Amino acid sequence: MLRIEHLTKVYPNGTVALKDVSFQVEDGEFLAVIGLSGSGKSTLLRCINRLIEPTSGKIIWNNTDLTALSAAEMRKVRRQIGMVFQQFNLVKRSSVLTNVLSGRLGYVRPSQSLFNYFSPEDRQRALDNLDRMGLRDKAHTRADSLSGGQQQRVGIARALMQDPKLVLADEPVASLDPVLAHTILKHLEWMNRELGITVLCSLHFLDLVHRYATHAIALKDGRLVFQGLPQEIDDAQFKAIYGQEAERVSIV
Amino acid sequence: MKSSSTLSALFSLLVPGAGQFYLGKRGRGALIFLAALVQGYLIYWALDNFKIGQVTVANLQTSWLWLLFVLFWGWNVYDAYRHAQGRRSISWPGLLVIALVVYFIAWQTTDVRLDRLVTRFGNALKIGDDIIHPDLVTQNESGAWVPSENFYYIFGNIVPKPAPAWLVSLGLVKEGVEVPTFEAGKIIETIALGLISTIFSVIFAIPFSFLAARNIMSRVPDGTVIYYVTRTFLNVMRAVDTLIWGLIVVLWVGPGPFAGVLALTIHSIAALAKLFSEEIEHIDSGPIEAITATGANLFQTIRYAVVPQIVPPFLGYTLLRWDINMRSATIVGFVAGGGIGFFIVETIRKSGYTQYAAALWAVAIVIIIVDYVSAKWRERVLVGTTRVTTEPPRPFYKSLRAWFYIVVGMAVFVYFWQLCEIDLKQLLNPAPTLAPFVANFVSLNLSPEVVSTVVREMIVTIFQALLATTLGALVAIPFSFLAARNLTGRSCLSSWVYYLTRSLFNLLRSIEALMYVAIFFYWVSFGNFAGMLALAITTFGLVGKLFSEAIENIDSGPLEAITATGATRLQTIVYGVLPQIIPPFVSYSIYQWDINVRMATIVGFAGGGGIGSLLYNEYFPFSSYRSAGTAVAAIVIVVAVMDFASAKIREKMV
Ligand SMILES: Nc1ncnc2c1ncn2[C@@H]1O[C@H](COP(=O)(O)OP(=O)(O)O)[C@@H](O)[C@H]1O
Ligand SMILES: [Mg+2]
Repeated sequence: MLRIEHLTKVYPNGTVALKDVSFQVEDGEFLAVIGLSGSGKSTLLRCINRLIEPTSGKIIWNNTDLTALSAAEMRKVRRQIGMVFQQFNLVKRSSVLTNVLSGRLGYVRPSQSLFNYFSPEDRQRALDNLDRMGLRDKAHTRADSLSGGQQQRVGIARALMQDPKLVLADEPVASLDPVLAHTILKHLEWMNRELGITVLCSLHFLDLVHRYATHAIALKDGRLVFQGLPQEIDDAQFKAIYGQEAERVSIV
Repeated sequence: MKSSSTLSALFSLLVPGAGQFYLGKRGRGALIFLAALVQGYLIYWALDNFKIGQVTVANLQTSWLWLLFVLFWGWNVYDAYRHAQGRRSISWPGLLVIALVVYFIAWQTTDVRLDRLVTRFGNALKIGDDIIHPDLVTQNESGAWVPSENFYYIFGNIVPKPAPAWLVSLGLVKEGVEVPTFEAGKIIETIALGLISTIFSVIFAIPFSFLAARNIMSRVPDGTVIYYVTRTFLNVMRAVDTLIWGLIVVLWVGPGPFAGVLALTIHSIAALAKLFSEEIEHIDSGPIEAITATGANLFQTIRYAVVPQIVPPFLGYTLLRWDINMRSATIVGFVAGGGIGFFIVETIRKSGYTQYAAALWAVAIVIIIVDYVSAKWRERVLVGTTRVTTEPPRPFYKSLRAWFYIVVGMAVFVYFWQLCEIDLKQLLNPAPTLAPFVANFVSLNLSPEVVSTVVREMIVTIFQALLATTLGALVAIPFSFLAARNLTGRSCLSSWVYYLTRSLFNLLRSIEALMYVAIFFYWVSFGNFAGMLALAITTFGLVGKLFSEAIENIDSGPLEAITATGATRLQTIVYGVLPQIIPPFVSYSIYQWDINVRMATIVGFAGGGGIGSLLYNEYFPFSSYRSAGTAVAAIVIVVAVMDFASAKIREKMV
């Protein structure tokens, strides 16, 4: 169980990106995080694995307060938290396989990994995960020769290598064509349903939220303005989250 | 409205640019003020130092150039008036006056004597004749053609020598027995110098580049201070040309190939570290974030997210630097020793252009090959192979070919190391000449005579570079059209023209300006003019290549559209090509001027005038190290300012 308590983030330049945000995520949920761009979605997700240091508040995951951990302890926790990014964040010049294997770095002996050595079991798992993403035959090509949708699937395979209990997905489909968006979200849905991984995923389109999420929260200017089930977001709620002029749009 | 236009015109009448500044056109006002200041100073300076433009009016010595200055002043008042009325002003009269003043003074101070090109054309013919008859072969007693002594000197010879220690210790030969040994020629030594100095400079440039990368240092306590200190230090080191470093390192380790390697290395560390640090500043932070999020530690993050991003561009810049170092290695011998430069200076003293010509051809061939190889490899590392394979790549340690390259590479490295007479211990036991040099060099001589001499020669150097750039670029323009594939067409004749022009560019580009000085001083005699011509020739080659590539890279869409209207080829060029190529041409020319100023600081070493002759013929031979310090400080300031300004202007143009 993940519990966020009074989380606040003030950037050094004074921007208040999160203001006293509290909510709770049960294990096995698929939680959609919605809100306009600039509302603090990325900041929230990055505070959870402390890629960004929260200013105040607590992040309690399975009874440990992550904000109180030392850097070394936090690294151990990060191994169990996968992350998927809007811009995929692959190492473009490295091979697809190396990118996937890099998800294992937290587990292997650092001295060995410096020479790009991974155990045969890890290699086999990486290939299996690529197979599951339909990219087995791309393992030895360079990551930047892949299309956007393929790159994002490599990103998911990398997260899978971590044996994650939790996956943070920061607008994983915002840079992709609508059709591809469904492929990627189906993979996340599969991880959530079949592997029992809790998923926190920020999304832009409401119909995607309805289609994939089990729960939803909404941020506006760094404040939590909604928490509940996706179908509870009615027109009034919608206007409160996205502003009065907003129109509902949908994608394929 | 009326009052404000009179007012701003009045302001500009009192102080040039003040009216424009008052109207809120601050940039324009500042530029006009600066232009007036520089023009005024140049006119005064030219009259004072060289009596340029001197006329006597009512017993008063003055310069007629002041008339132009008054015209500029008048234009500036008109400009302020027009802008105040909210109407368009015309800039070209102002620019024209500036150009007239600058080019007139540049022409005079550089001592351009076009007549000599004609009257002394006989000398040029003599040199030309020698150049196509390089001293490579000779007839022996029996009348057969054999390689000449000069050939062996350049390329090397096999002579019997006492067996080296490692052969003896392996038990292959007995001690003292003579075995045939290859004695490397000067061109081989040049290659060694270029390669060894590149390896050294990469090793040192990497740590410096991290200290000079803003994104890294902003995370370290006190990093910003270290960042600025490192940046400044690198800029100073880079502004001083390899050959000037040569003058200095000779006082440290004495003349010889090792001094050559040091001079090349010092300059090249600074140049590489700058490029490396810019590459580090531009890395993508996304992968770093992603790898950190997996729970990897700092070293793993660097290994998997940073190293793959920086290795290819680092390799690319290293290859580029290797090319540049090879070129510098051909001339570093002029001052420091080592390589073929030393040899050339010797032969010219013996007044034989045939020996010089042989060296020139050898240099041209080696540099053209290096240039080609470096460009090909660069393309390979930067673009890389995006080949789709299903097979995992074979690890390199299982490939016989990789091991072969490694063994050969190591053997070559060890051999070159010996050839360059690398002696690192000498760095810590400097020659007795170093201490007094450093002490004097840093306490600059700021006496009025020295300062005015240094300033004079520095301005001359800048003018030399300006004229050389203008001349070289103007001549290069027509040729560059002949060397552009997309315009020459595909007929047999035009293919020939294309290849000939390209080869001409490559050939002229492969020789350093300093070497051309040796040709021009015989043709037009020593001095600024010879230096300027030498710079113009290299400019022609360098800029010609860049221009023709710019033409080849233009967007063919507009060309198609204009051709489709039934326009002639000339019309197509005027309306479709020119608008597209003027910005890159101007940008390359400014860049080349920047490079030429740096090169002009050394053409004086071979008799090409400018500030180099001051250093090489006066300050260093007579150990006037305090004055030398002043001259080098002037060079650093001018080169750094030019570098900064040219980068800013080019940034604005794209
Ligand atoms: N590194 C940063 N420094 C300062 N302000 C930031 C930084 N990153 C984000 N912000 C600001 O914080 C707010 C929330 O940003 P973000 O979390 O990226 O929102 P979202 O992901 O919902 O678009 C925005 O106003 C943004 O400008
Ligand atoms: Mg975001």
